[in-house]
Amino acid sequence: MAETAVTTPTVTSVARPRLSARAWVGTLLRLLVAVGIAIVFLLPVLWMLSISFKPPTEWLEYPPTLIPKEPLIGNYTFLFNPGNPEGAIAVMTGAAEPVMPAFINSLIIAPVATVFSVIIGFLAAYAVSRFRVGGNFMPFFTLTTRMFPPVAFAVPLLVYYSAVIPSVIPGLRLYDTRLGLILMYIAFTVAFALWMTKGFIDGVPRHIEEAAILDGASRWRVLFTITLPLVRGGLAATTLFIFILTWTEFLFALIFTQRYAITVPVQVSHYAGAIGRFYGPQAALGILASLPVVIAGYLIQRHLVTGFTFGLIRE
Amino acid sequence: MADPLPIIQLRNLRKEFNGTVAVAGLDLDVLEGEFLCFLGPSGCGKTTTLRMIAGLETPTAGEIYLRGQRITDLPPQQRGLGFVFQNYALFWHMTVFDNLAFGLKVRGLPPAEIEARVKEIARGLELEAVLGQRAARLDLSAMQRVAMGRTLITQPQVLLLDEPLNNFRPGLREIMRAELKRLQLNLGRTMIYVTHDQEEALTMGDRVLVMNAGRVEQLGTPREITEHPASLFVASFIGRPPMNFIPADYRIEGGRALLRHGSLTWDVTLWRQAIEAQMRNGQVIVGVGPADILPLALASHGEGEPLRTQVDLVQPLARQKILELKVDDLLLKVVVPGTFQVQAGEMLDVVMPSRALHLFDPLTEKAILLY
Repeated sequence: MAETAVTTPTVTSVARPRLSARAWVGTLLRLLVAVGIAIVFLLPVLWMLSISFKPPTEWLEYPPTLIPKEPLIGNYTFLFNPGNPEGAIAVMTGAAEPVMPAFINSLIIAPVATVFSVIIGFLAAYAVSRFRVGGNFMPFFTLTTRMFPPVAFAVPLLVYYSAVIPSVIPGLRLYDTRLGLILMYIAFTVAFALWMTKGFIDGVPRHIEEAAILDGASRWRVLFTITLPLVRGGLAATTLFIFILTWTEFLFALIFTQRYAITVPVQVSHYAGAIGRFYGPQAALGILASLPVVIAGYLIQRHLVTGFTFGLIRE
Repeated sequence: MADPLPIIQLRNLRKEFNGTVAVAGLDLDVLEGEFLCFLGPSGCGKTTTLRMIAGLETPTAGEIYLRGQRITDLPPQQRGLGFVFQNYALFWHMTVFDNLAFGLKVRGLPPAEIEARVKEIARGLELEAVLGQRAARLDLSAMQRVAMGRTLITQPQVLLLDEPLNNFRPGLREIMRAELKRLQLNLGRTMIYVTHDQEEALTMGDRVLVMNAGRVEQLGTPREITEHPASLFVASFIGRPPMNFIPADYRIEGGRALLRHGSLTWDVTLWRQAIEAQMRNGQVIVGVGPADILPLALASHGEGEPLRTQVDLVQPLARQKILELKVDDLLLKVVVPGTFQVQAGEMLDVVMPSRALHLFDPLTEKAILLY
């Protein structure tokens, strides 16, 4: 382009390189900002990835290196087959337990809770959006359960869930069960599902539904053949969001499980705490734990795009 | 033309939204096969009335009858009426074929018959080429035709249309208007057409219902409405530019009945009885159409007393000019042929023939019937 300017020094060609230089600087600046932001967000992930391949001697090494000097996959194999590392400490913290049961628990609890939460939230949102069920403040009131620090519910729920004094208060026998966590997760996320899907349903013009009704369709038919396909992308986005919430939930999983219903986030916490410092396996499990979310996000990516552009449905 | 049997009857139909009256007790007989237009400014209740007929709004009071059957509480699915929405309300996620087939699928028709009927209606509306396309990708005119086709395919008894031409640019609008009218003539089906565009209503409607503030101002043929507006509102709403209104005193001088405003005088002896019977307090509002004020040069002899005015403004249009003439404290809008030569600032003598006057009572705002 600079060449063009030299060989044909007309007004336009003189102006062009100057403009493109400005554009070039702009592109460079944008790129720098993007890289800067990417580093801020990605560095912890890269760090975790790095540690997950480091031998114990490098975990706390100073100065730290991003690339492991002696990379190994022992941290990953340890997760599934811990053997008997460092004896008593590992047994005490739970690090000696293989991670498969926790993964299976999480892979059941999170998806099931998510699906029910989204279904219930969607139907509730439809009722609120179209029929104003419960009045104008209903959607707001559904948020009241989110207005307290969640841990405030821990003790009352614990009373419900467990047999406090078996002969007097039998309880629901949901302590340390998958069903217990599933119910809890549905209860805590359904308000989010309602609010998110309500936004998408509100975006579907009433006239489209009325047209279907005048064509003879029942409300249920309208809901499933007209409204649902139109908010499909929104439902995908909501599903992903709620799946992330339930997949990574730690506090209640920690309080309400002990042995049988332990989830991945709880298992992650077993490797490093007041005692025990299995940073390598912990990082390895962190990487593995993020995979389902990454995969789910990738699979529904196409729907996410349509979901977010469907805010622009034509009236 | 039409079998004079009412297909839809509204009796004292009323709708309030949170205490605001949208439709204030409407009585109407819609005749079989007619093209009836609801005309009025936005918020006058015309769309609400249409939606109540369709069953999309529940009336606060009153009854709706379809062929003599009370349908006030019947759900919209069971009324068998077609509705075309202002913005078409197509099923954007479906193909044109699926849009057209929707009503038939809902009725559980066999796929072969659905396909045959969709193809037939697509041929009639020139949609064959786009049957496989997503509805969201169509151009406006095709969307409008899909909306019509989707409604027509279930063969509704009455077609209700809510400003379906609103989104069209002016040139296309006239074309679509003619298309719609032709379609209605071919189908011979009753149509109720809501619009705020007087030109649309007056060119398409067999009858026009003029509404304002939830009430009926006038129901009549386009000719009746333009030539004999029943109220001040109708007279001011219809016509472009609208009618000139001049408040005038009524008095008897030497055996002649006169209306007078400043230097303007009309001799209304001929209608003396009618005026005195209908006038409330000795005052009348005189309405004069912009085409009923004639420059003296264009008037035939003896059309009335010439009146001297000053030309304040000349607005040339394609075939005519709109003049604003100053007389006393009045500014009169007058339409003259485009060939008529006149400059702003000139003096111009005009006549206002008494036979072209419309008289209104200032209290009731109703027309004073002269015959």
